[in-house]
Amino acid sequence: MTVAKIPASRMRVLAFTSRTPSGSRASMAVASLLLLVTIVAVLGRVLSPYDPVQPVGMLNLPPGSPDHLLGTDSIGRDLLSRTLWGIQISWFTSLVVVASGLVIGGAIGVTAGVCGGWIDNLLMRFTDLFLALPGALVAIAIVAALGPGLKNTLIGIMIVWWPYYARIIRAEVKSLASRPHVEAARLAGVGRGRLVLRHIVPGAVPTALVTASLDIGNVILLLAGLSFLGLGQSAPAPELGADTARSLQLLLTQWWIPITPGIAVLLMSLIANLGGDAVRQLLNSKR
Amino acid sequence: MKFADVRSKRSTGDRPDTHPAEGLAASIRGLTVSLERDGARSEVLRGVDLDVGRGEIVGLVGESGSGKSVLALSMMGLLPQASRPRTHGSIEIAGVDVLNSAPSELRDLRRHELGVIFQDPMTSLNPTMRVGTQISEVSHDRETSLQLMTSVGIPDPELRFRVFPHELSGGLRQRVMTAIAVAGRPSLIIADEPTTALDVTVQAQVLELLADLRDTFGCSVVLITHDLAVAAQIADRIAVLYAGRVAELGPVAEMLRRPTHPYTVGLLSSRLSLETPRNLPLTTLKPETATPAERMLGCAYHSRCPLADEKCSREQPPLAPVALGADATLLHERSCWRSVAQVQALAHSRAPVDTVLRSESRQLSEAGESVRLDDVHVRFVLKSGARHREEVHALRGVDLTVGAGESLSIVGESGSGKSTLLRVVAGLIPPTSGAVHVGNKGAQMVFQDAGSSLTPWLTVGELLRERLRPLRLGSAEVQRRLDLALTTIGLPAGIANARPSELSGGQKQRVALARATVIPPSVLLCDEPTSALDASLAASVLNLIRELRSAFAMTVIFVTHDLSVARLMGDQIAVMTQGQIVEMGPATDVIERPEHPYTRSLLASVPTIEVTTS
Repeated sequence: MTVAKIPASRMRVLAFTSRTPSGSRASMAVASLLLLVTIVAVLGRVLSPYDPVQPVGMLNLPPGSPDHLLGTDSIGRDLLSRTLWGIQISWFTSLVVVASGLVIGGAIGVTAGVCGGWIDNLLMRFTDLFLALPGALVAIAIVAALGPGLKNTLIGIMIVWWPYYARIIRAEVKSLASRPHVEAARLAGVGRGRLVLRHIVPGAVPTALVTASLDIGNVILLLAGLSFLGLGQSAPAPELGADTARSLQLLLTQWWIPITPGIAVLLMSLIANLGGDAVRQLLNSKR
Repeated sequence: MKFADVRSKRSTGDRPDTHPAEGLAASIRGLTVSLERDGARSEVLRGVDLDVGRGEIVGLVGESGSGKSVLALSMMGLLPQASRPRTHGSIEIAGVDVLNSAPSELRDLRRHELGVIFQDPMTSLNPTMRVGTQISEVSHDRETSLQLMTSVGIPDPELRFRVFPHELSGGLRQRVMTAIAVAGRPSLIIADEPTTALDVTVQAQVLELLADLRDTFGCSVVLITHDLAVAAQIADRIAVLYAGRVAELGPVAEMLRRPTHPYTVGLLSSRLSLETPRNLPLTTLKPETATPAERMLGCAYHSRCPLADEKCSREQPPLAPVALGADATLLHERSCWRSVAQVQALAHSRAPVDTVLRSESRQLSEAGESVRLDDVHVRFVLKSGARHREEVHALRGVDLTVGAGESLSIVGESGSGKSTLLRVVAGLIPPTSGAVHVGNKGAQMVFQDAGSSLTPWLTVGELLRERLRPLRLGSAEVQRRLDLALTTIGLPAGIANARPSELSGGQKQRVALARATVIPPSVLLCDEPTSALDASLAASVLNLIRELRSAFAMTVIFVTHDLSVARLMGDQIAVMTQGQIVEMGPATDVIERPEHPYTRSLLASVPTIEVTTS
């Protein structure tokens, strides 16, 4: 039919966006970038050629210098080492935050969705309370109260990060619980706990995973933002946001010093978002 | 022209001449369509030739997967681009070459020459637009729209003009769809399963309406359906589609009286009617055993055909005219290698094509009752509030007793409360008032949509094992019971490792039955378990339920909207409407001597194939 009239160039675009095997292969490749970043983060300390805290070379070396691939900063610390350490810290902290969101939000969402009634109301109004407050500001307030530092930043973000997950998982569980297979399982004599764990929760896993993988980028940005504002790691330790902030005044003279950690943040959050999208496409095409 | 001396229920009357040679509304030649599904390309239509004459109603009959809906979409030029269709052959409608026209030409064709009626009017009407506005989009002015609404039999058109689709009943919505379809004065209406989602009484009205529209507007109709009897009600000619090819094509009366293709014979004999013998197993077609590649090679039907020989599995039979008596003024064609005499011998033998034997010994193990309902009421609260409180009174005082080992069919239209009644017996819904007693082995249930009643991420084995868990059996014993249950139900033991998405529709329903009976319950509750299945498959599931009933001496309560199924499955029939049982008695009595007017109207609407030999 009319397909014959579509020019070949457009067909290729269609092929790329549709969920054909070639499309899912592309998704697979993008999703494996997530793994790649994780590997880089795991090996960060081993890969980094120098101690990130000690001055190890000339001051203000530009990128491409023989011993310092990404150059050095204004007190002679190796930028590559600092960036690798920074990547490790922000990647893992954001994974921890997202995982805590999944666990706390998941527990609250599943409980609310399964129990319904006043428990649902109570838990969801509590969730609404958190959603009503701007998360980043609350996190800043918590960190300010606890004192700056990586651990406190983590606690601050974790406290504000779960409500979103609770909402999404509750909605998913509610719709799954009303599906016929749950009624059929109930009739087959499946007990309540088993019903929830085997017949409802597995159905909510794909949605939760997709939400989580798309969320990693947000957490990376928020973490970098907080440490840019001085609420993250304390001074000598490598931290991408803080490094950018501290050397920002060098932007016009030694541009690579603030730009390098900034680009690392950009790349990580970009990969996290693309990877999350790819995960979603893979899970959707499987269903 | 005197069309034929035999007619299905509707009389020919003095309708316009319908000889296809006198100008065609649509002409399809050698149509081949292949679509891509999950990355694999498959041929859905394989060389279809079909003409639709002016003012003619052509019934397109086939089971799911036969390609009938794809044929309809091709005619509209609306094949889903996402599955990247490839087409050969030609479709010509009103002088337009559908396969090779620009989108704008196709839009004009659809606007001026085609009318479409879909299966589910709720999803094909725009829920955010008033009904009148939607009709006027095509008819362009209010007066014409009101006239159209009157002509499709919508009472109070002035009032209905301003309502939204959700405020109308299913039958009225389908009438609105029909009004939109005829608003542009099309030369051809394509109706894709227009009655499948409707209750029987409404179904009959919609078919009548389609025939009337043809008589008033002189348009042609392509009526797509899986039910031969529905097509037989109003069609002039029937095309039977099997695996993307026309198996048989001919005038309705000829086809019904003298089917010349083994598949048509099979369809006719596996159709359930009010005359199907109750004490015999139901006739079913042999299940498909050939791989898709083997089917492509020879006649697609050969692995299921009782007459097939070696040639049938090697060479594809062409669609060729059948030589029939002189009264056959319309062409009767078929694609089969076997002689007409052989096929007709098959038809007249009336021998079951493939039967499952049923043990006649129905042990009524212990007398007594297995289900008793005393004055059961169920109210659902839709809206609760201090001022507004909306309730649905789904059951209004139901008294019911079913003896142990007995079977009861409950018949009623949608909204009659029959499914609610079943759920109350199952214990899924607590009655608002009244008492429910079920035998000590409890109740199990199989659902209309077996697919959605199986947890998608668990395997068949895991689903069955869950039922056995409370018994705390050893793992060897569990395995033995599981294998036994699958064998009893007619499934290979290997299926225990499959997930529901890997099963066919019939297999899903069998797995649901296996789960329900792996520990035999006192009562097996069946909620329209076959209404989503093709006729032959449905018959085999019904046979299975009967066998299980006698094997386990279970009580069966079978809910259906189809009286012929109710008659076959129940010793007793209960007729429900508006939450009450209005008539109940032995099956034959209810069918032959209905007392309540509602039962009579149900009976009158059952689509039947009446072949009267002249």
